[in-house]
Amino acid sequence: MTESDQHITCQEVVELVTDYLERALDADEASLFEEHLNFCDGCITYVEQMRVTVEAVGQIGETDVPADTREKLLTAFRDWQHA
Amino acid sequence: MPIQAQQRVPPVVDDLDVVGRLRAGDERAFEALIEQLHPTMLAVPRAHVRTRASAEEVVQDAWVAVLKGLDRFEGRSSLKTWIMRIVANIAMTRGVREARSTPFSSLAAEGEEAAVDADRFRGPQDAFTGHWNAYPRDWSTLPEQAPLGRETLRALAHELEALPDAQRTVVALRDVYGCRSEEVCATLEISAANQRVLLHRGRSRLRAALERRFDD
Repeated sequence: MTESDQHITCQEVVELVTDYLERALDADEASLFEEHLNFCDGCITYVEQMRVTVEAVGQIGETDVPADTREKLLTAFRDWQHA
Repeated sequence: MPIQAQQRVPPVVDDLDVVGRLRAGDERAFEALIEQLHPTMLAVPRAHVRTRASAEEVVQDAWVAVLKGLDRFEGRSSLKTWIMRIVANIAMTRGVREARSTPFSSLAAEGEEAAVDADRFRGPQDAFTGHWNAYPRDWSTLPEQAPLGRETLRALAHELEALPDAQRTVVALRDVYGCRSEEVCATLEISAANQRVLLHRGRSRLRAALERRFDD
């Protein structure tokens, strides 16, 4: 069977996208995925939307530790040192 | 830009060195560890306890347990993974007390869940079965930086909160706090495949939420 006989649909692409981004597809599956993107603008856009979503999610976390929490933990550290 | 994630390199910080400094009473080393891990740790208990306050308590208890158990850390896993496992165990125990005890693995991916509604694709009678009826919208044509604007990020944070427990936990650890997949699997004691399914479903729901927002 030649490569061109095989293809995946857009509906399959949207289910494989995470495995693709995670490099969890085997070589054949990854090729089919990439071949699909070569001709399908809709799926290129979809994959880009997923990428933007992941990027956006990466910006919503609270990364600051509240001062009172930090103080409580440092007190616990001192107690532990002197235990 | 390559669209696949770059392989992340493990942190170069020497865990045993950090542990040595903690044992020697180096407060700044402990503070740095708190800065590095506390927010990430808070994402773990939420699948097991009811409130944010309970989650805070779990993580604070975990820090105390980390200090008490420090002599037992041998560097067989990373310090981060070791600490995250302690959080997960305390969260589970706490969940039992709050009668919300569910081993994470039982929250794991079940049933079918489509990333995109089936009616967005051409049906079985069509010559192009499974292809888009109408292409998704190109977000780069939205008014400036809409996907990453403050209002959108706030809405997205609510959507993340609304995800099913297991999906929210995995997406938070991976995409909000940048944990590697192996760290997430070890923390939650789930398989790599299961982790990917949960990540996929969570990310897909969040993408769909953004799409609804932008299409309105």
